[in-house]
Amino acid sequence: MFASNLLLLLVIILPLASLLLALRPDWQQAYRYCLPLLPLPALLAGLTLGPDASLELPGLLLGGRWGLDELRQVFLVLTATLWLVAGVFAVGYLKVHYLRRFCVFWALTLAGNLGLVMAQDIASFYSFFALMTFAGYGLVVHEGTGEANHAGRVYLTMAVVGEMAILSGLLMAAQQAGSGLLADLPAAVAEADRRWLIMLLLLSGFGVKAGLPLLHFWLPLAHPVAPTPASAVLSGAMIKAGLLGWLVTLPFGEVSLPGWGNALVILGAVGSLGGAVLGVRQRRPKTVLAYSSISQMGLMTLMVGAALANTEYAGPLFAVMALYVLHHGLAKGSLFLSTAMALPAGRGGQWLLWLLIALPGLSLAGLPFTSGAASKLAMKELLKPGNFEFAMAPYLPMLMSAGAVATMLLVWRFLWVQRAAASVGSNPAFMCLGWGLATAGSLVLFWWLPWPGAVPNKAWLATMVHEAWSLFWPILAATVIAALAWRSVKQR
Amino acid sequence: MTLWLMAGLLFTPLAWAVLTLLLDFSKGRVVTWLGILVQVLVSLGLWAAVASDGGFLYLLGGWQAPLGIELRVDGLAVTFVLLTALVAAACGWHASIYLDPGKPWHRYFWPLFWFLWAGLNAVWLGGDLFNLYVGLELISLAAVGLVALGGQADALRAAIRYLMAALLGSLAYLLGVALIYGQFGTLSLAGVTELINSGDVQSGLTFPLILMLLGLALKTALFPMHGWLPPAHGIAKSPVSALLSALVVKASFYIAARLWLDLGGDLGGYALAQLIGVLGSLAVIWGSWLAFRQAKLKQVVAYSSVAQIGYLFLLFPLTWGVTDAISQQAQQGITLQVVSHALAKAAMFLAAGNLIMSVGSNRVDALAGVSRFLPFSLFSFGLAGVSLMGLPPTGGFAAKWLLLQASLASGQWWWLGVLLAGGLLSAAYVFRVYRASFIEATDTDQFYHPSRSLEVIPMILALMSLGLGLVAEPVLSVMSLPFEGASQ
Amino acid sequence: MTLSVLMPVFALMTSLLASVVLFALPEKGHRLRTIINLAAAILKIALVGVMIWGVAQGREYEAAFTMVPGVEFVLRADALSMLFAGLSALLWLLTTIYAVGYLEDSPNRSRFFGFFSLCVASTMGIALAGNLFTFFLFYEMLTLSTYPLVVHRGTTKALRAGRNYIIYTLTGGAVLLFAIAWLHGLVGDLRFQEGGYFSDIDPSMQGPLTIIFVLMIVGLGVKAALVPFHGWLPQAMVAPAPVSALLHAVAVVKAGAFGIIRVVFEIYGLEAAKDMGLLAGLSVVAAFTIIYGSTRALYQVDLKRRLAFSTVSQVSYIVLGLCLFGPVGVAGGLVHLVHQGIMKITLFFCAGNYAETLGVHRIDELDGAGKRMPGTSVAFTLGAFGMIGAPPLAGFITKWTMGSGALAVGMDWVVAVLVISSLLNAAYFLPILHRLWFAEQCEPWPHERRWGRLETSAWLLWPPLITAALMLVAGLIANLPFSPLSWAELIVAREVAL
Repeated sequence: MFASNLLLLLVIILPLASLLLALRPDWQQAYRYCLPLLPLPALLAGLTLGPDASLELPGLLLGGRWGLDELRQVFLVLTATLWLVAGVFAVGYLKVHYLRRFCVFWALTLAGNLGLVMAQDIASFYSFFALMTFAGYGLVVHEGTGEANHAGRVYLTMAVVGEMAILSGLLMAAQQAGSGLLADLPAAVAEADRRWLIMLLLLSGFGVKAGLPLLHFWLPLAHPVAPTPASAVLSGAMIKAGLLGWLVTLPFGEVSLPGWGNALVILGAVGSLGGAVLGVRQRRPKTVLAYSSISQMGLMTLMVGAALANTEYAGPLFAVMALYVLHHGLAKGSLFLSTAMALPAGRGGQWLLWLLIALPGLSLAGLPFTSGAASKLAMKELLKPGNFEFAMAPYLPMLMSAGAVATMLLVWRFLWVQRAAASVGSNPAFMCLGWGLATAGSLVLFWWLPWPGAVPNKAWLATMVHEAWSLFWPILAATVIAALAWRSVKQR
Repeated sequence: MTLWLMAGLLFTPLAWAVLTLLLDFSKGRVVTWLGILVQVLVSLGLWAAVASDGGFLYLLGGWQAPLGIELRVDGLAVTFVLLTALVAAACGWHASIYLDPGKPWHRYFWPLFWFLWAGLNAVWLGGDLFNLYVGLELISLAAVGLVALGGQADALRAAIRYLMAALLGSLAYLLGVALIYGQFGTLSLAGVTELINSGDVQSGLTFPLILMLLGLALKTALFPMHGWLPPAHGIAKSPVSALLSALVVKASFYIAARLWLDLGGDLGGYALAQLIGVLGSLAVIWGSWLAFRQAKLKQVVAYSSVAQIGYLFLLFPLTWGVTDAISQQAQQGITLQVVSHALAKAAMFLAAGNLIMSVGSNRVDALAGVSRFLPFSLFSFGLAGVSLMGLPPTGGFAAKWLLLQASLASGQWWWLGVLLAGGLLSAAYVFRVYRASFIEATDTDQFYHPSRSLEVIPMILALMSLGLGLVAEPVLSVMSLPFEGASQ
Repeated sequence: MTLSVLMPVFALMTSLLASVVLFALPEKGHRLRTIINLAAAILKIALVGVMIWGVAQGREYEAAFTMVPGVEFVLRADALSMLFAGLSALLWLLTTIYAVGYLEDSPNRSRFFGFFSLCVASTMGIALAGNLFTFFLFYEMLTLSTYPLVVHRGTTKALRAGRNYIIYTLTGGAVLLFAIAWLHGLVGDLRFQEGGYFSDIDPSMQGPLTIIFVLMIVGLGVKAALVPFHGWLPQAMVAPAPVSALLHAVAVVKAGAFGIIRVVFEIYGLEAAKDMGLLAGLSVVAAFTIIYGSTRALYQVDLKRRLAFSTVSQVSYIVLGLCLFGPVGVAGGLVHLVHQGIMKITLFFCAGNYAETLGVHRIDELDGAGKRMPGTSVAFTLGAFGMIGAPPLAGFITKWTMGSGALAVGMDWVVAVLVISSLLNAAYFLPILHRLWFAEQCEPWPHERRWGRLETSAWLLWPPLITAALMLVAGLIANLPFSPLSWAELIVAREVAL
């Protein structure tokens, strides 16, 4: 009990305590090497503590409660892993220019991101969310270029508006619930007179972070301009905080809301396909990846819509979403980190590198025997048209397949522009290590990390063989389209 | 015991006056110090006696009026006696350092000072109309002389003007007294009141009352008869200005108030009371405005006196045709105003004198930088100003509060505006002075530093004015002691 | 004379006597002056601390005597007064420390510290005043003792600001006096009493009482800088930084807000004020002020001026909180009295540091200041986020409590006001933070001074750091006993219990 409490405290305290290293300018090199250590307690907590670990902090804010459950555990593991690998990468990546400042914002954003996953009371959740949002600004504008400042301004404006929407939504929900705990909110929101308003506020507020269509403008601007390790966590972990916000506050499992379900499925579809359409037209690898994130979050929005539409499937869908989050986070992190990798001189080495860069991308598209395939299968199984009754339900499989094609197209586009942008040279050891860990996490470790317990039917390998074609054809289709497009460009 | 006290109060000042007339300035100064000590002690003694035993009527020499001199020794009178002792002591002490012994005519300061003091005591304690007149004349003549001590042509011109006004006022008053005497055959105020109450009132008696009030108002410089005051008070030496503003104008007002309270209820009327109130209000507004516009520091203070005196005349409407409680409230308010204004204005004039002496110019603009080098005098000036503005916790505030309550309770809400606007206007001219002193114009200390005692005296007076508000309750309780006690 | 009588008197006397002694000290006695200042401030904190403890136990501290016939002078320590007294005692110490550093090598220090102590004594008196009359006494004393501080520099600008300040506040004071006198005439001398007096009044009294209420709000609103009576505040920022800090955080604007609290709670009574429809009007004024102040702040280029308009906006939170008449919302308003104080004083300290160390006054000169002065900039950042209402800082606690309170009583539009104000706050604070931390310094600092190893004088650096930490702590431990929020809830519990 004591150990688990201490560990939970340490998750937050270690990153915050690391700020002491910023007191003296000559400690900044030491600080750089500490960055990978900061998320370690969180990773340990995610891997070792059970889903019912909790810590009461009655004096904190308006009465604090931190802890884990199945959903949060997955989020915590993902977040900690991503920050860890990105931290390792950052050790090699960072230059001395404003190093101290970067480390400070890194630690703060990290603390916010980890904290909001653990927080079970409204005040701490909102606090950590805000901490992550505002400290994240420091990561976005770190480079100090005009482009970065512009992106930062858009990011901050939208984030602040989002924060306010969240605040009002939480206030109204908490007032309805008469409680300060997140766990009491869904039921209260379900019964509230002004359910529509609360839901609208929360959906849009968290939607800013989650890159919901029309609230996404900051995302393709901010993710590319940030230093690469920061882009990785922005796109891999922080974007998921918005999703987590939805999952813990909206009335899932309380009342079926087909209307909201339809709306979210449509929004998700728009995000998923629209993100791809916009993404393939981009010329910079990180921007393409950012649109890919929007596209992927679209798919998750789709699931959120389905879960809202039908109370019965909310629980299983949560598990699938968690799995998807884990998969996408690791893969996207690896992809982002790879944008900064220089190609080795030898041809063999180059091929190996391209393969390792491409694999997480293919995983996103659902290549069999990757994390993506596992997630997609679980998702498909649940989103069978027969399971749901709302208007958009029949279109779900089609949308998912279209999403897969779109994803693959984006991956091709990414590889294309990355090939143009990549330089030949050597990489610092820490960058190699960080990127290697990320890729390994996405391709290998994924299978050993704790999955949400409620994921249906774990007979993955057999299923994957059976379903190989259904998984593979979108990839093939996208490849054909990409090849045609390439030819048409070449002929011109 | 009482005999000694009474004699000490009335006659020793005359003795000091004669004595100092024979001596030069420095010797006169020593005599005066001694005299001041005696006077203050005697005044305190009388005040303590009345505070513990209550007031009494005292017949000097044991003769009955109209032949003898009748003295009313009530709480109000002894309070004013004590006030006079304090203020005059402070001014005398200040003058003894302030005045230049080298100027030959300054030796006349001491006798005039003592005549003034004697006259004041006579007025506070006087019980019949004629003795009051004598006291008043004594005061006026001494005051004119003191103004003339300034020495320059301007001072003489102002003194002559003052003399004319004072004589005119006295004449009007005397005429009224004569008419009253003709009607009632007595000069004792108590006697006249008795006769009126017994129902022997005949028509036409309002005229002598108006005549007397007119004369006294002229001497008190009630708007629009205030023209003589600012030049006289402004040109005189600072200790003299302080005496004039703090005490001399109060003497004539005191008589007017006594007349009004004793006779006004029967002989006055609503219109007369309101008219006087309106004149007082106009004095408050106009005087403050003029004070704000003055270029010379002492003129500011002098016009401020015109304004502050205006408040006093609110006594007339607030005591006519109202219940005893309200009348009592108004009287208390006015008395407090008299006392706090006396203390504050004396402090202000003395402090202004220090400031002028230090910067070597009497212009307000010349004060730039004074706040850094002469903070003490400036602070005294400011504290006195606070009392004039009627801000808490000063005596001025307590007075204003009581007047506000009286106005509200009597339904004469229009005076509220005067009280509040007057406070704001006085803030305007006080802060104008303050503002000028805060300007950082010069970097070096080029100021003449007056001696410590000169700076301490106004501070003591200002603090007394400030503290008056805190101890208003006990002071007022002595003031309102009646004199129905056994006559001796 | 028991201790319970003497405690409030002592608390008042510490700064009053200090002021007298400071005036008397020669200009050159810097060390002695500093010692006296600090000793008095620490003594006062101890006294107030003891009283807070006692009040929490339910003990009564009261000293009273009759001043003018029918009117008493009452000093009394209750829960509400301790909220304000605690704030002013604490911030006095910090501001004194700051002022010692700020005024190093500048003239007129004797005068400055004398009036400074006098100003704090008035604030303490306002906190401890037991009836309207005593309150007014100290309220005016505050006006006067602040004037020399505002015009301390003696420049034309300062003098103009001082003149406006005096015109506004004295006029306000006159209106207040009128209202108090009228009320006194109607119902006599009223001590502040939990629950107020007018819960069941004669309908015929309603008219006068409404007018008196409006007059009182006008009189107090001048100091509380309610629009349209706020004009003096942005000008008064020409005063030296410690004065601005004190003015904006504790002394003047808070005196107005505190007075409004007293009048609404303990003269009229929350229920009665609501039933008479007085709170509805007040809430509209407060809401308008909040939005107006923030909007104006957006357009200011001078740092202190921007902060000043921010104060206009923030102080009205307190007033708006009162209008939420439920226990939660009222607690939110009360707690902001403390929270706003700590936050705003931090910001002004920092603004003073930039001005004193770098010579920077305008916001566009702040580029890169975070690198040169990290400590100050951290404090400023925390203060700014507190103002925006970002959690877990003190400002968030206010906003959250007020928002909950507003929803609880069905005044949903207040949440919209809070949100809009937060957005505006973000819009005018975040660009400053960007300049501090992320912009490169383009030009040399206008007037840079160096203090060896530290970024600025230690006297100047520590106070903002401490207040910033306090602000963080006030937010983090809001739920513990003796935190500002818990104390505000205690007050509300006592006010509502009666």
